[in-house]
Amino acid sequence: MEVAERLRLGSAPGPGVPPAFEDLFRREYPRVVAIAHRVVADADEAEDVAQDVFVSFYRKHPAEAHYAAPWLYAAAAHSALNALRSRARRGKRDAVEALRRDDLAPDPAQAAETAETRSEVRAALARLPDRSAALLALRYSGLSYEEIAAALGLRRSSIGTLLSRAEEAFRKEVTK
Amino acid sequence: MTDIKDMLSVPEAKVDTERALSRLRARVEAERIAPVRGRASGPRGFGVNIWLKGLAAAATVALVATLLTVSGVAETILTIFEPKQLVAVPITASDLSGASSLGAYGTLTWTEQPKPYDVPDIGTAARDSGMMVLVPSNLPAGAGMAHYGVMPKTTATFTFSADKTRQAAASQKRTPPPMPANIDGSKLFITGGPAVVTIYQDGTAGGTGASGATGASPFSGMPKLIVAQGRPPVVQSDGVTVEQLQSYLLAQPGISPQLAAQIRAIKDPSSTLPVPIPVDMATSKKVTVHGVEGIFVGDSTGLGSAVIWQQDGIVYGVAGTLTEQQVLAVANSLH
Repeated sequence: MEVAERLRLGSAPGPGVPPAFEDLFRREYPRVVAIAHRVVADADEAEDVAQDVFVSFYRKHPAEAHYAAPWLYAAAAHSALNALRSRARRGKRDAVEALRRDDLAPDPAQAAETAETRSEVRAALARLPDRSAALLALRYSGLSYEEIAAALGLRRSSIGTLLSRAEEAFRKEVTK
Repeated sequence: MTDIKDMLSVPEAKVDTERALSRLRARVEAERIAPVRGRASGPRGFGVNIWLKGLAAAATVALVATLLTVSGVAETILTIFEPKQLVAVPITASDLSGASSLGAYGTLTWTEQPKPYDVPDIGTAARDSGMMVLVPSNLPAGAGMAHYGVMPKTTATFTFSADKTRQAAASQKRTPPPMPANIDGSKLFITGGPAVVTIYQDGTAGGTGASGATGASPFSGMPKLIVAQGRPPVVQSDGVTVEQLQSYLLAQPGISPQLAAQIRAIKDPSSTLPVPIPVDMATSKKVTVHGVEGIFVGDSTGLGSAVIWQQDGIVYGVAGTLTEQQVLAVANSLH
């Protein structure tokens, strides 16, 4: 294996967004947004998270990297959880307000209630350990066990067990 | 399961990918963000590169730390840095984000460029490096075949330049403290290596193991196990004073007061190699390896760890997607 190649450092300025990166963006952006949206429950914030995730990948990794998709999924989950936690730190009122923007319910009272419930659920998610929360975010965004294993650097065979534990912990947090 | 699906449900959002791509293009342009050059080196490669880049960035900090005991005797070649011990220096992303690279203060001229290359076996690695290459007798489960690389001895001369510093600062619209006259034109002679790096791939089926992409971890993408050993860097100078270098380099824009204070606190900077610890991502503590003090570094995800120590004039490091217990077991089994 190319030990020497690993020892060389290789990033340098270059003009414009390369076509390969644009292809990657078009292919993966909807899924990255979906993962972030599942976590933050705010469409605008999810798109902001996705932008940051792609910029971060762009700075450090070549678009052709075969690990691009799992990297992006993991980064989407972790970045969205970070956003959620900073929102939680700002207080409950802000958190509910943020989620109301995302709700299209015609009845304002119902919208408020839905936003409050969603906010409580997200607060519970934010209190979980990072890996458990990321597992839930990725699984409930529709990723397969294989995809989750690749994204989080876990063995495929342990995903089922870890997911069950994460779900149990999440239920406990929600009912606290 | 369904209850959680319901709890985590969100209203369907319309995603306009082309609009988002335009937004990203604009941001890349406005912030002058450069893409990585070169081909993908695999998921194990990027993590190592991130780690190495971190060390490269920290090399500037290390150099600052090493310049603090320079004698005031002008025109005399002095060994100002020859590390015999290690100390952890916590750094944050903001500590270094605004720091200029060494190139902003002068010119680095390689007399022997760093040119790492692969070698087929441990015998060649030992012959080329001139070191006895240690191997672990305790390999963690999942470690595959060993691959060897050698970094030959590297030497460089750095010449401080007040002109270049002014130009670099002006192009960044910064006003650094003026370079003292006797630093301007003075030289540092830097020697590093040789070093040998042994990489053990993840030998499990599929090779994913714990080395996937966790994004936030400095160990993400790392091979199962890396064992490295090398002669530590030595810096010599043709003479500037400790006080001038300390006040000049640590007062540069971009080096945080906290970092400067940590470096000033190193008791014997001429023989101490600062090991940068990215505190946003990893924690560190002192450990004993082969009867000497070493530094253990673990990332905050628990997915990787590393230990570094120095013995008999050689710096050793063991790192991988391993637990603390595993990494220490490998380190202590090196023979």
